[in-house]
Amino acid sequence: MKFLCVPCDKPMKLLEVKAPDQGALTIVFHCSECAHRIALLTNPLETQLVKALDVKIGTGSSAPTEPLRFTRSSLARQREETFLTGEPGEAVEAAKEEGSCPFTALVGEAEGGEHVWTEAAEQRLQRIPIFARPWAKKAIEDFATENGYRTITETVIDEAREKIGM
Amino acid sequence: MKKYKDIVGDGGSNIIDQVVEQMARLKVRMAKVKTKVAVMSGKGGVGKSAITANLAAAFAMRGSVVGILDADLNGPTIAMMIGVRGKRLRISEEGVHPALGPLGIKVMSMDLFLPRDETPVIWDAPAQQDSFVWRATLEVSVLREFLSDVAWGELDLLLIDLPPGADRVSNMAGLLPAIDGSILVTIPSEVSQLVVKKSIAVAKETLKAPPLGLVENMAAYLCPRCGAEGELFHPGDSEGTATSLGIPFLGRVPFDPRISISSDQGVPFQMRHGDSPVGRAILQIADATATSLGMKPSDLGRIET
Repeated sequence: MKFLCVPCDKPMKLLEVKAPDQGALTIVFHCSECAHRIALLTNPLETQLVKALDVKIGTGSSAPTEPLRFTRSSLARQREETFLTGEPGEAVEAAKEEGSCPFTALVGEAEGGEHVWTEAAEQRLQRIPIFARPWAKKAIEDFATENGYRTITETVIDEAREKIGM
Repeated sequence: MKKYKDIVGDGGSNIIDQVVEQMARLKVRMAKVKTKVAVMSGKGGVGKSAITANLAAAFAMRGSVVGILDADLNGPTIAMMIGVRGKRLRISEEGVHPALGPLGIKVMSMDLFLPRDETPVIWDAPAQQDSFVWRATLEVSVLREFLSDVAWGELDLLLIDLPPGADRVSNMAGLLPAIDGSILVTIPSEVSQLVVKKSIAVAKETLKAPPLGLVENMAAYLCPRCGAEGELFHPGDSEGTATSLGIPFLGRVPFDPRISISSDQGVPFQMRHGDSPVGRAILQIADATATSLGMKPSDLGRIET
């Protein structure tokens, strides 16, 4: 995908990639001639499609910092003891934190990547209808952040439900 | 006004260059693999993975250094058949080291990443209901990493166990244009042969190297006690299918119940019963494959000694 500044007939350059909000990205381009700016806004599905390519927007390099980074960061459920190095789950968490593309790291940041969900809490989350799950997850994580919880347990979910009225 | 082709680059992300970089890394890794062979079928349930595992054992027993890439991400079985299930993977500067099975067979499989038997492969995404849009793309990216980020080392033979479906070979051809050949597996039923014909056609059109040949698995039931043969399926004409499509017929492998027992126990049947009729059939297919590939004596260890 390329962008052209029609008045200047000049290709536009990527200026910045803004942190995603609920899976939607903002990618800003500008014209070096007239300084006009436009923003490409992606929906979560488009974001996910680009993520699937394992490419980075704005960095110009896909060189992995650790092997199987994309695989590790893309699996929603994986074995903690897959790798021998480091503490159990360390490699997985590192990959998750680093992200597999321009989006993963930013999505993680915007979607509560600093929170740890217990298995029971995760199961509760899975029982929420899929169309409402991203919203519910974000609401619970926002509640957890406001109240200083890093680990989201079933108790935290119950508190959030009571407070938010979910 | 400028058109798409008039503009060089994409404004800063250099997506094309990133993809080129990815493929370059894969090429460097695969440069140490002498021979790469895809094992495929059209229809599921024809015993393709069992053939893959036992062919790997047959080559390894001849002294070859063999690896298996389990490309069936959603239904991985190779790790169990080779007995590496639950093994932990070592990471070094070279990459992620594959799980090491009997006879030094190296394995990379999605199964090694899954926590429990019943855990399906679920990709991290804001929503799963539209996953049909991006799933295939993501799976190809994972397979690329399995090829490029795994420290396969020097291999005489890398067998790639593809999932059922004629389209899968196209994905693999995109990742590995220099694939050396493909082995197609069918069973005697006409239904299976109907579907495998499509895979043969895709393999011929997509891969640079012609198919190595067709294997008829479960060709007959072989009683392990008395050795009597009986029909498992209404006999189809696998050899005729191969001939009509212009590819070699590599051989028939009868069904022996001990194959499934060995697979469940994580020990390739070939290691335990290599001198049985089934073992000899597999060895014959391995030999025919080696001949078709023109594998050198040094690639085959004891095969020439």
